Amino acid sequence: MSTPNKKRIALVLPAYNEGQVVRSVVADLTSAFSKAAYTYQIIVVDDCSSDNTSSEAASAGAYVIRHLINTGSGGATATGLRYCEEHDFDIAITCDADGQHAAEDVISGVRKLIEQDADLLIGSRLLQGGEMSRTKILGNAGLSIITNLLFGVRVTDSQSGLRVFSRRALAVLRWKSSGYEFCSEMLWRARQSGLLIGEFPIRSIYTEYSKAKGQNNWNAVNIIKSLLQRRIIELFE
Amino acid sequence: MRYAILVVLSVPIVFLALMNIVTQYKTKKIQLARFRYQLIVWAVIFVVLVGSFPVYNIIKHKPILDSSELSLFDIVQTTTLVYVIYVMNDYRRRIEQGERAIRDLNQQLSIKLSGKNGSR
Repeated sequence: MSTPNKKRIALVLPAYNEGQVVRSVVADLTSAFSKAAYTYQIIVVDDCSSDNTSSEAASAGAYVIRHLINTGSGGATATGLRYCEEHDFDIAITCDADGQHAAEDVISGVRKLIEQDADLLIGSRLLQGGEMSRTKILGNAGLSIITNLLFGVRVTDSQSGLRVFSRRALAVLRWKSSGYEFCSEMLWRARQSGLLIGEFPIRSIYTEYSKAKGQNNWNAVNIIKSLLQRRIIELFE
Repeated sequence: MRYAILVVLSVPIVFLALMNIVTQYKTKKIQLARFRYQLIVWAVIFVVLVGSFPVYNIIKHKPILDSSELSLFDIVQTTTLVYVIYVMNDYRRRIEQGERAIRDLNQQLSIKLSGKNGSR
């Protein structure tokens, strides 16, 4: 049996116009994973950015997959995970490219997945107190409730970008949404595929940059609309 | 009589939808579970379409096939509704297939074209 550190780990960062920060995010992850002596690869999926995201990520040492067309966060994540599946990684982690997640939390996610033998772990920003504003807490909690009502998946932070996937999850998880609603749809598909879903607490780091780029509650309205649509469409599929 | 016209106009659309589902299953485009589920959905539409008016008549203590309350507009509207559901669903399926094909192509090409520069 292989030891945890022998597992091949992929860090997938879907990125769109993150040229300002992606280099430091990749550098932080590189430093943390090198210290933890993991066999890893950092993959930045540039979703057809109009800035220097690709070159910045590549110069920081990441493997860059550049989309030919812009597909949205869901599409970029799907491409990253497909690459991981094709290249036989044992564990894949997705995290935001805007520096919202701490490298220690990413490593903690890997350890927890191995310990719990889960298939999909969600890094929840709501399990422990953090820097998240009340408005964001309200929006995220609301979306988690709606995810539960529509799809029967009970998690505290359905929109978290920090997710850890087992090899089994990589093989079976597929979703249809391309936008941010893929976060909830992915959980639904995981439930349909019988994957073991869990959560672990993370903190989120809000900088002026990530606050400016992050989602607001009006986007949540769009997400709810898309999720409702998806749920109704599924009746005829 | 009016009710019979409604059924005669609408039921072929439901049968068309059912035929599509069977074809999809037989050509292995959908799995058994999905096939069963779709059959149930369209069977429910069929039962509601055919059965709702007689049930309404029974509740109102009228002859079971009395459709004097059904106007020509009701017939056109209900038939159109069933037809629109069928057409919309068919187009949605085709659009989704196209979107999926483009997304898969984008994924595969992006992965293949990306230069390897950071593997460890």
